[in-house]
This record gives sequence, C-alpha cells and structure tokens, in this order.
Amino acid sequence: MGDRGTGLLKIAGITTLLLLLWCILIWDSPLSFLTTNNLENLLRRTALYGVLGIGVAFVIISSGIDLSIGSLVCLAACLLALFLHVDYVPVGQVDVWQVRADASTISVAANHGFNEGDELWYYKDRRNKGLVKVAGIGGTEILDGTSVTVLTVDPAPKRDQDSEEGKPVGKISSTFDVINYGGNAAELDSNAPKLKHNDKVLFVHNSETSREKTVDQAGENNQLILTDEDSGLNAEFRAVPIRKTPYMSIPLALLSVFGIVLCLGVIHGLLITRLKMQPFVVTLCGLLIYRGLSRWLTNDQTVGFIEYQETLGKVATGRWETGIQFMPVKVDPAGDASSWKLVWDSAEGAQMFGIPYSFFIFLGVIFTAIIFLNLTVWGRHLQAVGRNEEAARYSGISTHRITTLAYVLCAVLTGLGGVMFAIDSNSIAPSSFGNFFELYAIAAAVLGGCSLRGGEGSILGVVVGTALMQTLYNSIVLLKIPDELEFTIIGAVILFGVAGDELTRMLAAKFRSKEA
Amino acid sequence: MRALHQVSLTLKPGEVLSVIGENGAGKSTLMKILAGVQPADSGEIFVDGKKTAFESTRAAMDHGIVLIHQELNLCDNLNVGQNIFLGREPRKFGIVNSREISQKSEEFLRRVGLSVSPKTIVGRLTIGKQQMVEIAKALSVDARVLIMDEPTSSLSSKESASLFELIESLRDQGVSIIYISHRLAEVKRLSDRVIVLRDGEYCNELIGDEITHANMVSNMVGRDISQFYNRTPHKIGETVLKVNNLRTPHWPQHPVSLEVKAGEIVGLAGLVGSGRTELLRSIFGIDRPLSGSVEIGKQTVKIRNPKEAVNHGIALVPEDRKQHGLIIDLSVQDNIGIAGLQKHANRFGFANFQKQKSDTEIMIDRLGIKTPSDRQISKFLSGGNQQKVVLGKWLSMAPKLLLLDEPTRGVDIGAKQEIYQLIEKLASESMAILFVSSELEEVIGISDRAYVMHEGQLTGELDRSELNEESIMRLATNTAELKEAKT
Repeated sequence: MGDRGTGLLKIAGITTLLLLLWCILIWDSPLSFLTTNNLENLLRRTALYGVLGIGVAFVIISSGIDLSIGSLVCLAACLLALFLHVDYVPVGQVDVWQVRADASTISVAANHGFNEGDELWYYKDRRNKGLVKVAGIGGTEILDGTSVTVLTVDPAPKRDQDSEEGKPVGKISSTFDVINYGGNAAELDSNAPKLKHNDKVLFVHNSETSREKTVDQAGENNQLILTDEDSGLNAEFRAVPIRKTPYMSIPLALLSVFGIVLCLGVIHGLLITRLKMQPFVVTLCGLLIYRGLSRWLTNDQTVGFIEYQETLGKVATGRWETGIQFMPVKVDPAGDASSWKLVWDSAEGAQMFGIPYSFFIFLGVIFTAIIFLNLTVWGRHLQAVGRNEEAARYSGISTHRITTLAYVLCAVLTGLGGVMFAIDSNSIAPSSFGNFFELYAIAAAVLGGCSLRGGEGSILGVVVGTALMQTLYNSIVLLKIPDELEFTIIGAVILFGVAGDELTRMLAAKFRSKEA
Repeated sequence: MRALHQVSLTLKPGEVLSVIGENGAGKSTLMKILAGVQPADSGEIFVDGKKTAFESTRAAMDHGIVLIHQELNLCDNLNVGQNIFLGREPRKFGIVNSREISQKSEEFLRRVGLSVSPKTIVGRLTIGKQQMVEIAKALSVDARVLIMDEPTSSLSSKESASLFELIESLRDQGVSIIYISHRLAEVKRLSDRVIVLRDGEYCNELIGDEITHANMVSNMVGRDISQFYNRTPHKIGETVLKVNNLRTPHWPQHPVSLEVKAGEIVGLAGLVGSGRTELLRSIFGIDRPLSGSVEIGKQTVKIRNPKEAVNHGIALVPEDRKQHGLIIDLSVQDNIGIAGLQKHANRFGFANFQKQKSDTEIMIDRLGIKTPSDRQISKFLSGGNQQKVVLGKWLSMAPKLLLLDEPTRGVDIGAKQEIYQLIEKLASESMAILFVSSELEEVIGISDRAYVMHEGQLTGELDRSELNEESIMRLATNTAELKEAKT
C-alpha cells in the first residue's frame, strides 16, 4: 500500500546487510558456520523468533506497541505444560476414609467397584500399605459428609485411622493375578483392564518391596512387554495396573492455550480502543501480570514435556531431510582454516541437511500474514488505520475493531510462538522464560522496515529482519566476540539500520522536492 | 495566496479600535503581524513615531504590544502568579522567588479586578477568569496596546459584561485596545472606531454614530456576485435527510432541525465556530448526538459511527482534508478505494483490486484529477486535486446524501469552479447535497436554499429568493442579539 517503491528498497537494503553478514561469516569461520547443524539451528531460531516478529508487526503497523510478548510467551508455555500435565492413576482406585482394627473394616468411597473375594492394595504411606482381601461388603453410610461403603477385610488392619481435615486416609485399588512372568514379559489375569504403551504396572507383594514397571508393548490378553527386566519379580506378585492420564489431550490443550491468548488479545484491544488507554501502558501491565501469573500457576517450578518426547518432542526436534549432504572441511587437515572446501559425499563425512519442522510452521505463518495484510480488506484497513486513524474513521472504517484485531493477531501469534518455544526448549523456568522476547520481536520488526509511526511495514521485511538478528547472534558466537557484548552489537546494528533508513527517506524527499 | 494587501491603520492611546470583516478577510493575519507572530512581506510599523520591526512576539512585547489569542495561552497546571510571570520569573540566587511573584501578581490582579489568590491553580478558574489572568499577564509586561482576538467567543454573557467593564477601565488608564469580534453588538458597544476589512484589503472606517449594525454588515459584504456560478435548473425530489431536534455534544443547549431533498443543494452558512461542522459530524456519526433523530429517506436511522452512515448512503467531505479527508501518505488509488474496500470484497474478505483500479480510473477521468498515475502519493497533489480525490472516494460509493464541509477551502480558483460544476451536476443527478461554507458568495451562488447558524443555533432558513449577503450576515451575527442590545 502506498509507497511500494520505498518498501522494496527497504527490504533490498536489509537483505544486502544480511548477505554481507553471511559473507563475513563464510569468510571468517566457514568450518563452523557452514555445518548443517549450525544452519539448521539458524533456521529454527529464525522461525521461532520470526513468528513473534510477525505478530508484533501487525500491532506496530496499527501504530501501537506490544510489550507483553515475552511474558505471554511464558504464560502460553506454562499453560501448555500444565494442560498437558500427566498423572499416573491406578485403575479403579478409590479413597479410604476410615480404618477400624477391632471390627476389621475399612470405609471406602461409595463409588468403588470391588467384589467379595477381591484382593486389594491399600496404600497410605511407605509404612502403612499392604494387600487385603474383601471378606464382606457392608451398607452405604455417610461419614463426615462423604458417602462411604464399609468393607470387612482380611487380614484385619493393625490400627485405627481416621480422616483429617477432609483428606482421605489413603487409597485402595484392585489387584490382579500375575499369570506368568519371565524376563521382561508378564501376563496378567484376563480380567485386568487392558493396558497400552507407556502405561505402568505396580507389582505388589505382602513381604517384598513393590516395583513399578513401564509397559513397552501390550499384546492381546494382557501379555505385556516391560521396558526392563527384573530378576526379583515372579508370578507371586499381584499387579496394580496404572494408566497414564494426561489432564488434556494435545489438541484440546493447544486449543485452550490459543483460546486464552486470544481472549487476552481482545482485552488488550478493548482497553486501548474503548478506554483509550495507551498501548504502551496496557501491554506493560500485561508484561508484569502474565509473568507473575506464570510463576504462580507453576509454583515457580520449572515445567516441561518429558512425557511427550515421542509426540511434541518429535515436532520440535524433527526435520525434513532435503537429501543434500555437505560439510565444510579443511583442504589440508593439518593446515589452517584459510583454505577449505565443501565435501558433498557422506563417505567423506558430509551430513544431511534437514529443514526443521518449525520452519515449515513459520512459512505457513509468513504466507498467511502476507495474504492477510495485502489482499484482504482487514489488512488494507489495518494499514490505513496505522497511517491516519482519523481519516480512516472518516472513510467509514471501524477503526476500533481493526485496532483490536491487530492486538488479537499479535497475541495469537505470540501464543503460537510460546508453544513452539516451549516444546523446543522442553524446560520452562517461569521466572525467565521469554524474557526480552518482546524487544527481540520489536527490534526485528523495526529492522525490517516497520515504522513505530504506524502504517509502514512488510512481512517479508520482518522475516529478513529476524534472520538478520539471528545471524548477528550466531556471528557473536562464531566470531568469538565476547558474549557480554551481545546486546551492544545487536543494538548498534538496529540503530545504524534505522538511521540509514531515515537518511534515505530524507534524501528521497529532498530529491523529490528538487524535481518538483 | 495573499491574505492581506496594503492595509494601514493608526491607533491612538486610550482608544478601542475594532477590526471587523468576513471570515478570511485578513483580520487574524493583520493582528499576527502587529504582534510579531508572523512577519509582513512589506510595509512598516511605527511605535510612538519611531519605525520598528518585530521579528518575534518578544520584540512586540518589548514595545508594549500584546496579543491575546482566541485560545488562551495559559498553563493549566501552574498557579496564577506563575502564569503571569512565566518566562520572566523574578529570581533570588538563581532560585525563583515565589514571594515576589505573589506580591507583584496581586497588584496586576487588582488592576483587572480579579479577586483570586495568586496561588490558585489556573485550571480551576472559569474561562472568564482565565481571560482576566491573561490580561493581567499582558499588563505585567507593561502593555500599551492589547490585541484581543474574539475574546468573548467562549465566555458567558455575564463574564462578557465584566470583560467589557475591564476593557473600558483599561482604556481610561490609557491602554489602547484592538478588538476583533464577529459579534457586532459588542463591537458597537465598545468601539470608538471600527475598521472594516474585506478580502484582505482595507474597506472602510466607521467612527462614532456611523457604527451601526446595518452599516457594519453592508460594509463587510457588498460586492458583486460574479458570473462564476452557472446554475442549471434541477428537479427537486423527495426528502432524503431529515434532522429532528438534534443536539450535538458541542452545543447541547440548541437542538437543530433541518431537511434536504433529493436534487437539492442546501447551504449551511454562518461564522467560523458557529457549530456547522459539529452538526455534520453528528449526522455522519463521528460524534454521537445527545438526542434527536435523523431520518434518511423517511426512515428513522440510528447512526453510531461513520461506517453506519456510509451504509445508509451518506458521504462526508470533511473540512480538514489532510487530517480527515485523505490518508496523505497513500496513493490516489488507495484513497479512492478505501471506502469501497469492504463493499466490493468477496465473501472470504479478499479485496477486489480490479474494481478499485477501475473505479479510480473512472474518477480520475470524471473529476479531471491531475495526477501522473493512480499510484501517485496524494501528498504530492495540489489542494484542488486532493479535494477531488476525496470527492472521488465518495462518488465511487454512489451516496444519496453528500455532506461537504468547506469544499473549496485552500483550493485555487479554477478547481473551485470545477467543484461548483460538479456539485451542480450531482444535484441534477438527484443527489442531495448539504454544504457548509463560510464564503457568502459561494452560499448565495450555488444554494437552492440555505440555513444559517449562529453559536450552535439555527437562526434562520433562507430561500433562493431571500439569499443575499446581508440577510445571511444578519442571521449569522444574530439579529436577536442586536435587538437585545437596542432595548
């Protein structure tokens, strides 16, 4: 929209800068820069930060600002971790509310499914546990407001126990016969619930220590292959099947996270358009609030996705192999690095170059964003509102809605970025995860030609800007620049980039006025 | 453009001189030159017979000439004393001497008859009292000439009365006052002498008994209407817009009712600040009216924002072209296409750029927009062509009702005539047109009918046969006020 020529010039300028930096890196340290590993890393980091950059670009184009990005990344990551939190729950486990030694009874929650003759595993703590047999099932009664069933058990419990502060005394669950055990294979009673890969089995015995085993494969009729062997185990043990229960399924968890960040974006937008609050203030408060919320929700504990190595973990670390193999090596293995060549054959040690999956997500975001911003009515309205909100309103544009939309888009993309960062790092420390990300995003957008005056900016520019930022970061490592200087260098490059941009703008204006 | 051409005036000590004229007659420019706000291209200023030149307001102030603006120049957050001595604070060891400020301020406040403490925060005072503070500030620099530009525009009648008393007492103290006002009753009451400007030129001087309402009006206007306006008769149809008792947030005490029919050109005359722009803004949904109703084609509609107005077939060409009319950094095509983006989009929200381009080409052709291409940035077009871009934006939407706010402001004479012809043509195509203009000639030249406003109030409606400069001016300056003054 508008000054298309200047826009292209800007992208050309920054692309030149990026290529120049690549040339320097290839010239200075080809052996580390041109490895597939390093290049893949560069792509992955560009993808992750680029999603945030595109998000904030929408807000900057609307002539606003979003400072809450870093904290929102952390919040999204923490929420995802909490939503996907996995518990291992014994099948059919119920609470025990009272134990009576004399009467040889225990009172369990009324929703139990036990039958007379069942052998149950009672667990309170390491000392108070054991197998009991159900000798009789009594009636249902109310105990401290809870509906319980009184079971007569054999052997009789050693001492009385009562619930305290509304908490159950312990837990009790059904056990099943181990029909066969050998090596890492176990067969359970056919009545036992069917188990799946990654579920667990607790083997219990009245006189031996109980052992928890993870199921690797499950066949028909509960023939299980466990992940490890145990010579101490035998068919005398009884089995408590334990099921892996995530709090939410992956699609539901993702949907919830996106729903929540979308709502936060709407709130930002409404505060800014309806209450006329300044974007800086609203999102600064967001920065503080979301950081605090993340720490509180997680009890300030590092969270992660250890249970999801095979699903989310694969997406994070996965890559699409291009079939191209290469590796930079010294021409003379004994000589210095100044003469080097690329080898293309795996026989000589070349490695497969793969494109990380996250980069494909990034490509999708880029594509959608470009179409949205340039071809749809809302994108064009957004650019108009950023240039001159009043004139846009006088032209019949719902400026409030468009501005709100910008904050929503930013929040949703931040949420997506948060999810991508979360599964990528797999370890989220709520007090520091995502720190300064808003500044990286804003810097990439500004470097890519977005003006904080609003209305100006292109998605491609932001992409190149992000790539430049990440290459800078890469070069600090590779060129052995002290990493204390990291911020200084990134800051200086942005400063020069934007100053150069303003300078060309002024020169262009001068040129035009002379022409006129 | 030349705002002022070869005007001379003299001012004696202890005299109240009023300067009157139509909007754009050059009053404000003259005053700005006298007060050193802007330099004159030619001419001389003599103070006490000595030739001087003012490069800045400070220089004018040093000669005792102070301009009091229409909008007051006080810092709301500072107190009265601090405002009076702003920039000239008495100091002691480099530290502002508050006690001295208070003591000296009290003296000036007494002279203007204002009984407030110098420690009062200015923002807490009424506008009338703030004006007094402004005058006290002028006295503190030993002003001998006070230039007051529309000082009563935001005062109540009681506050105005005490201002008049102050002006008279200052005159008796030997201070000369140049008084600029549209309110002829005030001018008549205060002035020893009146100078009339017309089109940036000196027109006449009225002294003593010559200062009558009728005399002033006939001097301010009274020029031939040129053959500038080629009127073609057009058929007037059904009512398109009917406004019933609409109260705008700016003038909540005056409900306004008017109507415009299809094919009718209705002028909305009045002085600057008489509430015409505010009325259009409320009809177009930019400001929400406090009460009253708007009917479009006999149907009562609720217009809460410009988007809804556009959906009802209303278009507004605003007064401030660069801020409201155009997005000045965008191309001609982007500007013409912006209003229709939503309308022409497909159901997935994709904009129709072919339609936008063809619409733009049609408008460039139809309105004769002089631009190197449809991708030209609007900033680089002339005022007239920019205005045509704004018109093009709305005409591409084919509105039923076109609201125009000062459509020919800042437009050269050729483009002006083209705009008049366009308005005529649109009316003959049975569009309803309501246009605000401060140029009497224009209102008389192209209107089928005109409404006149004064301070937010519709003071009258004039038919084509009744339309002349005097009748408009009488209503614009409000005859009621005149009658009040006579009794």
